[in-house]
Amino acid sequence: MGGYIIKRGASLILTLFAASFLVFAVTEFSPSNVARKTLGPFALQSQVDILYEKLGLQDPLAVRYTRWLGVLLGLKADPLQDPALGLQFKDPRGDKYFGNFGYSTLYKAPVNDVIWSRLKATAALAGIAFALIVPLSLLFGVLAGMREGSGLDRTISVFGIIATSVPEFASGVFLVAFFVVTLGWLPGTSPLDSGGGWPIWSQMILPVTVLVLYDAGYVVRMVRGSMAEVMNKAYIRTAVLKGLPMRDVVVRHAVRNAMIAPFTVILLQINFLISGVVVTEMVFAYPGFGRMILDASLFGDIALIEAATLIALTIAILTQLVSDVGYAVLNPQIRLA
Amino acid sequence: MTDDRDNPHLKTLTKQLADGRMDRREFIRHACLVGISAASAYAMAGVPMATPAKAQGAKGGLLRIGTRVKEIKSPHTYSWGGYDSNVSRQVLEYLTFTDEKGVTQPYLFEKWTVSPDLKTWTFNVRKGVKWSNGQDFTADHVIWNLKRVLEPAVGSSMIGLMKGYMLDDVTVDGKASTKIWSDKAIEKVDDYTVRLNCKTPQVAVPEHLFHYPMAIMHPDSKGVFEVGSLGTGPFTLTEFELGKKAVLKARKDYWGGAVGIDTMEQIDVGDDASAAIAALASKQIHGLVFADPGQYDALKALPHLNFYDVPTAETGVIRMRCDQKPFDNPKVRKAMRMAIDPEVVLKVALRGLGVAAEHHHCSPAHPDYAQIPPMKRDVAGAKKLLAEAGFPNGVSSELIVPNDHAWFQSQAEACVEMWKEAGITVKLTPMPGAAYWDVWTKVPMGTTIWYHRPLAIMCLGLAYRTGVPWNESGYSNKDFDAILTEAEGTLDMTKRKELVAKLETIMQEDGPLVQPVFRSTFTFMDKRVKGFSMHPTNYMFAWKLSVDA
Repeated sequence: MGGYIIKRGASLILTLFAASFLVFAVTEFSPSNVARKTLGPFALQSQVDILYEKLGLQDPLAVRYTRWLGVLLGLKADPLQDPALGLQFKDPRGDKYFGNFGYSTLYKAPVNDVIWSRLKATAALAGIAFALIVPLSLLFGVLAGMREGSGLDRTISVFGIIATSVPEFASGVFLVAFFVVTLGWLPGTSPLDSGGGWPIWSQMILPVTVLVLYDAGYVVRMVRGSMAEVMNKAYIRTAVLKGLPMRDVVVRHAVRNAMIAPFTVILLQINFLISGVVVTEMVFAYPGFGRMILDASLFGDIALIEAATLIALTIAILTQLVSDVGYAVLNPQIRLA
Repeated sequence: MTDDRDNPHLKTLTKQLADGRMDRREFIRHACLVGISAASAYAMAGVPMATPAKAQGAKGGLLRIGTRVKEIKSPHTYSWGGYDSNVSRQVLEYLTFTDEKGVTQPYLFEKWTVSPDLKTWTFNVRKGVKWSNGQDFTADHVIWNLKRVLEPAVGSSMIGLMKGYMLDDVTVDGKASTKIWSDKAIEKVDDYTVRLNCKTPQVAVPEHLFHYPMAIMHPDSKGVFEVGSLGTGPFTLTEFELGKKAVLKARKDYWGGAVGIDTMEQIDVGDDASAAIAALASKQIHGLVFADPGQYDALKALPHLNFYDVPTAETGVIRMRCDQKPFDNPKVRKAMRMAIDPEVVLKVALRGLGVAAEHHHCSPAHPDYAQIPPMKRDVAGAKKLLAEAGFPNGVSSELIVPNDHAWFQSQAEACVEMWKEAGITVKLTPMPGAAYWDVWTKVPMGTTIWYHRPLAIMCLGLAYRTGVPWNESGYSNKDFDAILTEAEGTLDMTKRKELVAKLETIMQEDGPLVQPVFRSTFTFMDKRVKGFSMHPTNYMFAWKLSVDA
């Protein structure tokens, strides 16, 4: 197991290198350049040319990537913070430290000052949603899969399909129209600021509901499918025939085995909830990680896109690792090597 | 101080008023512009002066406004009057103040006079104004700001406005640049008097001084605006998070007296139109800086909101690069205009909330607008022009449409359909607004937002004068430049309109733009907000407002 985790750790680092280089290369196709983005649309071309040269943007892609990597690893100083440029870009952590993602050209601030508060906001949204999605999905998935084809199964399945099929922007607008405009019970946006008279917890209700509806419908169907499959196994039939009460059959024999397949699916939802909630964050003006990635991408803020990509990728790979290890723990037939 | 009756321009203005060549509103506007006090101007025009600007409602409280909270660090180079300057505007004041009726009045300049030839402007700095650090506001501060915005390295759009009368073209290291035309162009007379000695006559100097990049900053700021920055205004910026919110707290020692609210918060409601509607519906915000035609019906249905609108010169200019094929041929550019019916665009893109334009960027909302025969749609004529230009089979191009103004896409789609009939094939390419500003001066064809300016000659000077920073089309026409400079130095409204008519005709015949509509800007505010009126440039003045409990 230890060897496996070390191997996966090494693979994570390699993947991060490859992904960061790919993102760096892709941004080559984005219009404009860091110098123009830094100085703004109305700076004179002569000023842009000077900065372009000072930042070494004329160097080949590989040289620029190595320079960016050097800044990230704390081996080189961030060139945008050079006082000689007169940009007045300052990072309180200094211009040379490990984990220096550089300076955001969109926010005109160190990436580390921008990204973590956004990630924290999205983590809060994702955490609440996840805490609801897992038990609800397990409960309804097990209830539906216990008696395949029953009225309860059909009802839950149909509801799950509908919930998953309605896109987040549509369910968001429906919920706002009903709970905000018609009933006036809830705030329509989630700026995470209580100055508008709505406490922050109340601002979480609608975005969390949208995410839970969209995601739980899918996970319920996964759990239900796995449960239904297990309930048709011979050992379940044996347990029923030897006279065990249905409750014991389900709880002691079926559920643990039925959870093996959905376990991975459930953990993968963490990735979606961290980096895939752009639409929900837009609809509710939620100041989170997804909306920040969208803004950075639209603006072409390379430093921020790189940092967000690396963070999202790390989360994805770590959840994958946890899911693999957990899978092995749940299913003794699996051997990790 | 000069008595208003001694003002050298008074005779000309009163004669034009008496002859009926200028209406009362125009008289007041121009009288104020040349330094006659607003009270005298209103009295001479026989119009009661407006009630005091500040709201008479409850004192204290919090005002929350929905907007986009964008980068604010460099006021002298701002490019989003309706966004960034609305944060700094509450802290950094202006030398003059142009109200929603287009009347320019004293602000940090208490009074001014102008020589009969409109070349020498003498401004009296208001005494008693203090920076938020307690320091007196003086002529030195004014001069530092004026020189800074005219420094090419700063990159302020003020250069475009003031180039004609304050700057000379020069070549630096083989590249075109500008410099202040004389060492005495910006002159300190004494600690409270500043004189501008202009190269050519210019009538709109006080209005130029209210252009949003002309915010007055403390020299110690080195041109950077941030939390805690010094200002002479009624608020201080206490919190700022880009993309989230800006918080401004009222100063107790503001020179203009107490203001109606304690705190103003500007909340980022994102680009999603439904988010702003939802925020207003749940009363999380009191109002929006401005609303989009797509939000109109939903917001109109909310009973706790008031609707405010004002006709403007705000427009989406479809501009063509004059140095790129096929738009380097003026006949092609004219054909592009002839193929368009502005009334159709008005209906489709703005749902009628505006006026049809005439492809010259001068709006009926401008006092110096001149009515010339409108450019009617003529598909056969457009085809003929294209053939004469060497394109008998039509032309094709790509139109970049930034997506941060929803109605731009509808305008572009309507135009594309009309162009098709004239053999003009245009491919629409939507682009994120932020990305568009990287290429707005480069693409062969793009749609650019141009906000309201109080005078037609200001719009023309910013966008079409040869070589100015915001001349996005690369348009260059010596006749146009000469007439524009002459118009800028003409106080007589009849004469100025004649000159503007010539400029409009040049734009229609030779200009680099297709410009079918002007929109009315509008917004919705909670009925509890008192003292609000819609400014055509979407400016917010929090010191005028109060919020009832």
